[in-house]
Amino acid sequence: MENTRNVLDFFQNIVEKEPEVSAAVAAIRTLMHILETFGDRTLRGLSEELRKATEEMKKADCSITSVQSGCELFQRFITLTGALDQSNIKECKDIMKKRGEIFLRKLQEARPKIAKLGAPFILDGQKILTHSKSRVVLQTLREAALTSKKRFHVFITESYPDQSGVLMRNELLKLNISSTLILDSAMGYVMESVDLVLVGAEGVVESGGIINKVGTYTMALCAKEMHKPFYVLAESFKFVRLYPLNQRDLPQELKFSSSTIKSNSNLLDQHPQVDYTPPGYITLLFTDLGILTPSAVSDELIKLYL
Amino acid sequence: MPSLESEIEGIIETFTNNLKQRKFKGSRDLALNSVQLWKKIIGQMKWQNARELMDKIKEIGKDFQETSPSETVIGNMTRRMLKIVRDEYAMLQKGKQEDSDLQESLQKILTADEVDVDYSKNIPLLKPAIMEHIGEFLTELESSEIDISAQALEHIHANEIIMTIGYSKTVFAFLKTAAKDRAFQVIVAECAPFYHGHKLAADLAEAQISTTLIPDSAIFAMMARVNKVIIGTHSVMANGGLKAVCGTHTLALAAKHYSVPFVVCAPMFKLCPEYVCSLDQDGFNQFASPEEVLSNDEGMLVSRVNVYNPIFDYVPPELVTLFISNTGGNAPSYIYRLLSELYHSLDVQL
Repeated sequence: MENTRNVLDFFQNIVEKEPEVSAAVAAIRTLMHILETFGDRTLRGLSEELRKATEEMKKADCSITSVQSGCELFQRFITLTGALDQSNIKECKDIMKKRGEIFLRKLQEARPKIAKLGAPFILDGQKILTHSKSRVVLQTLREAALTSKKRFHVFITESYPDQSGVLMRNELLKLNISSTLILDSAMGYVMESVDLVLVGAEGVVESGGIINKVGTYTMALCAKEMHKPFYVLAESFKFVRLYPLNQRDLPQELKFSSSTIKSNSNLLDQHPQVDYTPPGYITLLFTDLGILTPSAVSDELIKLYL
Repeated sequence: MPSLESEIEGIIETFTNNLKQRKFKGSRDLALNSVQLWKKIIGQMKWQNARELMDKIKEIGKDFQETSPSETVIGNMTRRMLKIVRDEYAMLQKGKQEDSDLQESLQKILTADEVDVDYSKNIPLLKPAIMEHIGEFLTELESSEIDISAQALEHIHANEIIMTIGYSKTVFAFLKTAAKDRAFQVIVAECAPFYHGHKLAADLAEAQISTTLIPDSAIFAMMARVNKVIIGTHSVMANGGLKAVCGTHTLALAAKHYSVPFVVCAPMFKLCPEYVCSLDQDGFNQFASPEEVLSNDEGMLVSRVNVYNPIFDYVPPELVTLFISNTGGNAPSYIYRLLSELYHSLDVQL
């Protein structure tokens, strides 16, 4: 299909031009675009197209976990909507387009909802620890600082190798929130002085655990040991149908970028980009579906997929 | 009719005054009285449709909550009423008993159409349906203590040593029911500075149960001999944590250290959909007069020392083994499920 090259370009276009948009939403928008430009064929054909597009998008050098969860969700959306008894494909397509717009709108509203739920948990004078750059955490901190007018201090790990913690710090400086950039290895050192830990997630797995930038697991272990609450902020479209039992269980394509997988035969020498934090270390998950305990996550996934 | 309005206002005012003067003896009494009040209000008030009713309930409920913010039971009952209204409306709308999942879920985001559930349709059958449901709910409330005690024999075995703290009516009934068929011993921690444990010990002794009364400082020392800890609580928070009488956290930590099962007897009306945002005691706790701790007779000391007398304690969910409610036993990690059955997520913020 001549569209395959365009799929990747379209996707990367959104990711570059609109940095505020999550990779999962960008993936869903790309798939919506394919739905719209899809020629009149069968639903099965459409499913095939989407599957091929998903494979293409996974070649991009961004958070693959979000792309995967977004695409799976969209596939489910197609099967749920397509199950309607429509006489021809065109009517089906129209309904899907309409529903798709409502769907996208609800997804855009996810982050403000989470910020509203999370802001009351941040109190005046507290010290917060966060890891790497997360747009949801940023929005929640913005909500607490600007809307609720709370004063707090944020510690951010610089999060090697891409140093995304530095970007996070710049954003916080713009919002006039006092912050300190710390070395990744200084997590344990700083943990005794913080009041709570806030992280985002690239994916939320069925057990209620999360997949996030490497270093999150270490932070969760430290927090548990020092009895600090560990809160995860994640939108519901990040729920992914995986059940890893340990770090090795994570699929290779999530741990390493596609360029690394292609160029290296021995992945044992490569540094993984993400790690898995088991649900036992997470206190609460803040999602647009409400505040959930890790055990409630699998319930949500079951309700959707079964 | 002006007299109807003023009659409703009259009973609301009596209730509010009783609340302020703390005339209600215990959470169960408060729960029963508030549901009976709601029954009268909903029965006598004029309302056209469900939306109007729910707005009025929220308004009155907010006032109650402001009168007595630490009594979570009132808020719970208000939210329960709202859920009853929503359920009955949804059932009558759809015309059949659907497994109506009114809560937000991923599936709903994917499949829902634009239309939100609008409660403004006037259904004449709604009022009798709601009143019937409230009647059933009242019966459930009244029998909550008996339902919990009925499970006593499953949890207490012969020759066990049970530890408890303070005075909980639920636990007393629980232990009394078990004592009819089993012989066991109870150790009661006296729970300073109010010493409610003394009353429980006396009542248990009267019921022919072998009882030992210990000071709070001896909890850790005695824990090694204890088989189970069974306590009551003031409320159960949304994450499975407890808001219980001061001293419970100590008891829970000691039990964890010796791997003693920590069982909480709490009827469903104590389940609160709110989360404890922080352990900042100003927002969470209530403080009683420090007179009980350090009396004003010791004037020299009182002037130089800060004395606190908190009423409640927060116990995190990791320390609790089992919740026994009138519907059965549940793990703390299952609380979220019970919450979704009892309350609607939109009602959490009254």
